[in-house]
Amino acid sequence: MLDTWRWWRGILIAFGLVAISRLFIPLPFLNEVLIFSIYTIGCNFLLGKVGFISFGQPAYLAIGAYGTAFYLFYFGTNPYIGILVGLASGLIFSTLVAPMFVRLRSDYFALVNLALAVIIFYMMQKVFAGITKGDNGLWFLASIASTPLLDLTKPSDFFTFSLLVAIALWAFYKYIDGTIFGACCLATKINETKLQFLGYSNFRIRLIAFVIANTSTALAGSLYAVYLGSVSPEITSPARTADPVVVTILGGVGSLFGPLVGTIAYTGLRDVISKLIGNWEFFIGAILVIIMLTNSSGLYGSAEALLKKLVNKLKSQAEKQVLK
Amino acid sequence: MDGQLLVSGVIFGFSLASIYFLISIGLSLCFGLMRIISLDQLLYYSFGAYITYTVTTITGSFWLGVLCGVIVGGLLAFFVERAIFRRIYERELTFSMITSFGVLLGGIGLIKFIWGVVPRPVKTPFTDQIVLIGTEIPAYRLLVILIAGLVYLGIWLFLNKTIIGKAIRAGIEDMNHVEGLGINVTRLFTITFVLAASLSALGGALYAPLIIVDPSMGLEVLAFAFMVVIIGGLGSIKGTLISAIIVGQVVSIGSLIYAPLAIMAPFAMMLVILLIKPTGLFGSKLTK
Amino acid sequence: MNNPTTLEVIGLNAAYGESKVLFDINIKLHPNEIVACVGRNGSGKTTLLKTISGFLHPSSGEIKSIDHDLIGLRPYQIAQSGVKYVPQDKKVFSDLTVRENLELGSYANNDYNWDPVFDYFPKLKILIDRKAGFLSGGERQMLMIGRAILGAPEVLLIDEPTEGLAPSIVTHLRHVFTDLSKKASLIIVEQNLPLVCAISNRVYAIREGHVVAELSTRDEINPNNCEQYL
Repeated sequence: MLDTWRWWRGILIAFGLVAISRLFIPLPFLNEVLIFSIYTIGCNFLLGKVGFISFGQPAYLAIGAYGTAFYLFYFGTNPYIGILVGLASGLIFSTLVAPMFVRLRSDYFALVNLALAVIIFYMMQKVFAGITKGDNGLWFLASIASTPLLDLTKPSDFFTFSLLVAIALWAFYKYIDGTIFGACCLATKINETKLQFLGYSNFRIRLIAFVIANTSTALAGSLYAVYLGSVSPEITSPARTADPVVVTILGGVGSLFGPLVGTIAYTGLRDVISKLIGNWEFFIGAILVIIMLTNSSGLYGSAEALLKKLVNKLKSQAEKQVLK
Repeated sequence: MDGQLLVSGVIFGFSLASIYFLISIGLSLCFGLMRIISLDQLLYYSFGAYITYTVTTITGSFWLGVLCGVIVGGLLAFFVERAIFRRIYERELTFSMITSFGVLLGGIGLIKFIWGVVPRPVKTPFTDQIVLIGTEIPAYRLLVILIAGLVYLGIWLFLNKTIIGKAIRAGIEDMNHVEGLGINVTRLFTITFVLAASLSALGGALYAPLIIVDPSMGLEVLAFAFMVVIIGGLGSIKGTLISAIIVGQVVSIGSLIYAPLAIMAPFAMMLVILLIKPTGLFGSKLTK
Repeated sequence: MNNPTTLEVIGLNAAYGESKVLFDINIKLHPNEIVACVGRNGSGKTTLLKTISGFLHPSSGEIKSIDHDLIGLRPYQIAQSGVKYVPQDKKVFSDLTVRENLELGSYANNDYNWDPVFDYFPKLKILIDRKAGFLSGGERQMLMIGRAILGAPEVLLIDEPTEGLAPSIVTHLRHVFTDLSKKASLIIVEQNLPLVCAISNRVYAIREGHVVAELSTRDEINPNNCEQYL
């Protein structure tokens, strides 16, 4: 019983805090934070646990978003099915490209993904403009049905839904972390050859990790689609490739809550800084460089380290008291 | 296909190739010698264009603008190399990718601060047309091709006839060994980095009259520049040239046949080549 | 008796990441001396040379040349100060010609007098315009050493020079090393015991990262004696 609580503790506290903040933080901000952190956790997992950075996450976001959009625009009205369609699109697409991408060296991997994002941008903008309506995008807010139990057209219900999805996803990633597969991912990042000698296939491990990460990214895309009620090629424009990378580094690579903390900081800062300075890119670029140069473990990583120090200090003090 | 259209398409392709070459050679050199991915080369490319705009607007001389663009690009790179890259040469590739990306982003912010977000038009220095094989070709594009050819020649001479160039070639083979001889590799890295940036800046300056000069121009070309470099193989000068020519022609002729092909074809090519040869056509393996 | 030391290694400890490779190494090198380091594969001989030449940072200890500390200097600074490292594996720059390889050596040390190089290795003069990638193992070794003596270094750190070479070349190198010791000091890492025992003034036996013996008399320095320490 205690073990279950311990396992769930972090996730429940983190998202519990998010839920409570609903009382004094505007809903649009929170919804954006939830979706964005789901978007980022895939990237974080890929970089932190497998060692691959991708500059093309918007590609998978777009796949999920457009999958959902096509369904809701052309076929049906149920948002849940729309999300499932988006998720499935992401899963299928990732599985198709994975064998090709995953065997690349880390730099080629990053850049090929970047190229993919740009390609999908052009495809949605020009090539398939017939069905995607090009730059105008697909608008289907009006056609989303109000479902019983949780009406996703209502921001407050959407928030609850996203919160549950996020908790489930975080639990999933935490679970993977503790499995042999999770250990293998880390091993493949640190020492490929050794892992090969142990009998594992680096290729297969990377493949599965890639599919997992990008499917969850596609899920974020589906959520975006339902939330905004429209999808346009802009979500995968070249300027957007920065977002997940920055958030990942900002929050702290490889940590479970890094994406959440990073997203809150990024989204919050963006609104504040844009109003004050107006020069968002300079600030973000500078932060990125500083974090890399100082080897910082990001906001969450540093906070976690500080917290651990504090807890240890308190513990040893308490022990001293007991011994007295 | 109309013969005239084909000729102008081929010339157009070569002028595209020239710009791709100038941008990509920097990326390739930085990887070949220093084993870093320098995404910030696209920043020096952007600065090349913007400085050209400013100087041209003030003095009226386009070529003075180009010269200043190259110098400023090189200077900027000098400071970035000393302040940032010097500390991270030993780290793995992902590190330099993320860091240089940060520099690129920060630099775009700087550009927005100095020049604003509105595109800055740069006028073509001369709008003459030359008749080649019965087709009218913009003389400026021919000049760009000529300049790129001269640059390639210059690089070849530099790498094969000067001692520093030979040291760079040796360093691409084995950096530790070069250092073991007693050659100041810190200085060698700086020289190479600044050279790479100057070439990127030249690419931006020459390209400025042909495109929209706005803050995100670097990001828009980023994917293309890397497609060229990946196809040719990171670290090979010859590979970059050949790849630039191929991609330039494919984009140009492709867009005559079916416009979206212009974008998709290089991408498809890149994937196919990577399937057969994961390091690109002439790419070198990552042995430190 | 105060014998001036050209190079001195004191209490050197080195590791690759977490795995320790060198333990408390003490080595002295005097002017015009040939010192050999012998040991089995993996005993740490190459690591020792790499640490002295600056390619590996020691975890503790001192490395002193005549007038300054070597620890903390970059490899090219150490090379420029007169301590040259000639690595294993016959590494030359394959894409460059013999001439260009030598040019790099000259450029690094500001010494454009190639006469000493051709005196030792006349064959290099014949091969001067051949790409180094097409040289045989012996020719590459000659090129490496020829390149290293440019700039008249005080100390040469030579790693397994005779590995895989024909006996005639080994004999040639033997004479070269003996002659070199008139102008410089040499530390030679070798597995070829007869060779080093014939030309060395002193021999350090290294086993598993420790110096287990120092042989300094003519009687002590013989292959059988060395063997027992390994």
